Amino acid sequence: MQISDRQIDDFKTDRKDITPPLPVVLRLVPILFYCSIAVAIILSSIFFIQFRLAIKKRDDHRAQAAALAAQTQQSKNERAALEAQIKKATDIQSWVSGSRPIQPLLVEITRSMDPKSSILDLRLDRGIDDPTQIQMGLKIGADSNKQLDLTLSRISSMNFRAFSPSQTLGRGILDFKATLVRKLPQNNTSAGETEGTVQ
Amino acid sequence: MNSKHIACGIIALLILALIQLTLWAQNNRIKVQREAADAQMAEEDASTQLLREQSQLSDLRRQSADLIEFLRIWQPYFLTIDNPQSAEVNMSMRVKDANLLSLSQRFETAPVNGNASIPSSVKALLTFEDDYVRLMNWLGQIEVQMPTIRTSSIRLSKGTRASDLRMEVTLEQPMLKQ
Repeated sequence: MQISDRQIDDFKTDRKDITPPLPVVLRLVPILFYCSIAVAIILSSIFFIQFRLAIKKRDDHRAQAAALAAQTQQSKNERAALEAQIKKATDIQSWVSGSRPIQPLLVEITRSMDPKSSILDLRLDRGIDDPTQIQMGLKIGADSNKQLDLTLSRISSMNFRAFSPSQTLGRGILDFKATLVRKLPQNNTSAGETEGTVQ
Repeated sequence: MNSKHIACGIIALLILALIQLTLWAQNNRIKVQREAADAQMAEEDASTQLLREQSQLSDLRRQSADLIEFLRIWQPYFLTIDNPQSAEVNMSMRVKDANLLSLSQRFETAPVNGNASIPSSVKALLTFEDDYVRLMNWLGQIEVQMPTIRTSSIRLSKGTRASDLRMEVTLEQPMLKQ
């Protein structure tokens, strides 16, 4: 028996309508999704590479800065040590400049005495505040200033200058006091100056 | 809203998540790049500071060369006698070896003002009565052989015998701070 198409259709139950198609705009969503995946992968890869490079650069700079800081600290330590040495050298120089041999001056003063004169008392004291200065007290058995002039000239030949001199003469005793100061201070004092040997 | 709309919404959310992920990656990159720039600046600062420090050290070395040379020459003399006991023994031995007529010997430790490196010294207060030449030669030898010794005071006067001289001398032996 022939059944016409129309008749078969007639047997079908009425099909409920499927969901309506999406609007055209929303059909772009999947396309956008695929594009965003591609763009995200590309950009993330670029960012990741740059991220890794930046980390390496940062770590390198930090390591270099730490090394420089260590060198700076070492340099500071060296400077501190050098300053301590300078302080020590200055202190030693201060001591040495106040410790120049006094014996040659003493010998020169005693040698300056005329046969007619005699030293009754001779005193040389280094200054407390400034040991380079010497307080001299000299008592001579002499009747005139001639002996004193001679002694002072010999002191002058030893590169000393008499400051604040005072003298009294009475009963054949000349009492002279002065502060002796070196004319030209020599900073580069060498160890072991020439010994003043007396014969 | 049907299932297609829901699917679209889910995909949109996924797109947003991808955007967010990318932005997060970018932020991280920017943050690390900023840290790298800061580290570079810190390195440049450290480099500048090092150069300045080295320059100061170099200047100081140049300016203090003479002083350091002075210290190199003189310090051994100060280190030969580094305690009061050895200073006293040394001085006593020198007096004894000279065979001078010694009237008195006294030793005392005294502070040295205004000298941080030499905080104290041993003072030897000695009194002799002997021949003038012998006394002067002894004093001269002491001052030359022990250049760090300071003759802080000396007094000459007549001795009891006509040929003798009385010498009262104070010698200071510095004690260098170690």
